[in-house]
Amino acid sequence: MYYFIFIIRTAFEDFKRSKLQTFLTSLGIMIGVFAVIMLTALGLGLKKYISDQFDSLGTNTLFIAPGKILEGGSFGASSLLGNRFDVKDLNRLKRVKNITGIAPLSSKSGEAKGTEKSEFVSIFFTSEDFFDITGFSIENGRFFDNTDVEKRSKVLVAGPKIAEKLFGSEIEAIGKKVAIDNVNFLIIGVIKSKGGGGFGGPDYDSYFFGPYTTGYIYNPDKQFIRFAIKAEEKIPLATVKDQINKEMLRRYEEDDFSIVEPTEILSVVNSIFGIMNIVLVAIASISLLVGGIGIMNIMYVTVSDKTREIGIRRAIGARRKDILFQFLIEGIALSIIGGTFGLILAFIGVLIVQNFFPAYIDLPSVLLALGVSSAIGIIFGVLPARKAANLEPVEAIRYE
Amino acid sequence: MIRLDIVSKSYKIDEETTFYALKDATLEIKEKEFISIIGPSGSGKSTLMHLIGLLDKPSQGELIIQNKKISKLDDDQISSLRNEFVGFVFQQFNLIPKLTVLENILLPTIYARKKLDYNPTEKATELLKKFGLFEKRNTYPNKISGGQQQRVAILRALIMEPKLILADEPTGNLDTKTGREIMELLKELNEKEGMTIAVVTHEADIAKYGKRIVNVRDGKIVK
Repeated sequence: MYYFIFIIRTAFEDFKRSKLQTFLTSLGIMIGVFAVIMLTALGLGLKKYISDQFDSLGTNTLFIAPGKILEGGSFGASSLLGNRFDVKDLNRLKRVKNITGIAPLSSKSGEAKGTEKSEFVSIFFTSEDFFDITGFSIENGRFFDNTDVEKRSKVLVAGPKIAEKLFGSEIEAIGKKVAIDNVNFLIIGVIKSKGGGGFGGPDYDSYFFGPYTTGYIYNPDKQFIRFAIKAEEKIPLATVKDQINKEMLRRYEEDDFSIVEPTEILSVVNSIFGIMNIVLVAIASISLLVGGIGIMNIMYVTVSDKTREIGIRRAIGARRKDILFQFLIEGIALSIIGGTFGLILAFIGVLIVQNFFPAYIDLPSVLLALGVSSAIGIIFGVLPARKAANLEPVEAIRYE
Repeated sequence: MIRLDIVSKSYKIDEETTFYALKDATLEIKEKEFISIIGPSGSGKSTLMHLIGLLDKPSQGELIIQNKKISKLDDDQISSLRNEFVGFVFQQFNLIPKLTVLENILLPTIYARKKLDYNPTEKATELLKKFGLFEKRNTYPNKISGGQQQRVAILRALIMEPKLILADEPTGNLDTKTGREIMELLKELNEKEGMTIAVVTHEADIAKYGKRIVNVRDGKIVK
């Protein structure tokens, strides 16, 4: 036991003597561990963010989109090119049993003039069911209702962010007129913040929502890009999906539309981000490799600096393995020092990033980082340590 | 205790020429002896010392220590012998600069494989007191004088209670007075404690401390 403490202490005594050198040597590992942990944290955050987005939709929700969205476990290109749906489809779908809500979707982007300033905005034109399907709740004012849809009222519900931007505050926005591409709308409500935005997901807080019938102003062909459907909870989703499929097949070919559950999209998204994350982490790992080479380099220098000391130690009875162990410990210690600092840096980085994005570090990635850095210490320390161990005592002690 | 049987150490310089640092040396060191090995530089006395001290291996011949043929031992066993059987004292003291005086003295016990029948720290403390170095125990080697450093080196050689103290030019880096003190110390260890001592030197004055003097010249033991 005393032996181990002695050897480990010897290594740290060395570092104390050359703090700058120790720091520079472990810098490579530090950057590598920082990059790997940071990217893993971002990946985990992104995954969590996406799952949260889909979780709010509930389990009994379906989407119908043109073309084939999911092909062999990934997003298909044809979904971008596919036909659009129209009112006929909406009316047919309304006849399908076991559906409690249906929301057609079309969108429009344009310049909105508020009292405070102008902003480029997007409007989702949909039905009153949309709010229930997506789990929105109202913060101020009201949602538009069936009457608004029937009357093609020029009313809009605003996201809290855009309301604040255009009118100064959410309350101020209620009852105000907003002109979007020269059409005047009345703002009747502001939704409760859904959060999100930033990376990937839609930032609902910055959208306007209006009756789909009103949207025909911009959309004279009365087409929709998507349907969101809520099914009755007691009926298996597969049954409802099947019924919708039959209804759609009466008008379309198999390949012209897709019916997707959020969980399906979720799993595809997860697998895509999973792969992306692996690739990023693999690239970041190159810096770990470079760091390891740095350690190997400095360990060779140390061995040659300490040749005489090795000779002395051998003369008083150190075996080859004692010398090997001593230098291996030094390499590992260098590597773990770098790894620990990298980890601390990544913790700080994640704390900063959390202001914009739900990145987080989990225990496995911490253990992995420390495991990998000690492994690097061993792998890149073993050659110099072997060189030290294999020095002939007589040569080493004569070394000047 | 130690016997060299027609031992040679040679180095191949090129295809045809072989250089003999030591040729056909036969020597026996008996227990409790104080032997001086004297010769000019390049005579082969250092080679002889390295062979006796197990730092080097003979090219030909056999080295026998306590009836054990060294050629039959592996590196670990030879390391153990260096640890337990020999205590080295060098010209340049060869203390490890980043270890304190006490740690330097304890270093051989770190590498000890045999169970020590004494507490190393207690023994080191006792030795330090006896040699008047107790106050310096937590000092680093570069903070004490050459004479003190060489005393620490001798204590390091003594901590494992070896059979043989092997001193290579122990006074080479010391002034005459301090050198004499060190030699007196070695003499005392030999006479009072019955320690076997071999001193390698090129100075006749130093060699005189030995009860037997072996002359090495041109790689051969002359007398």
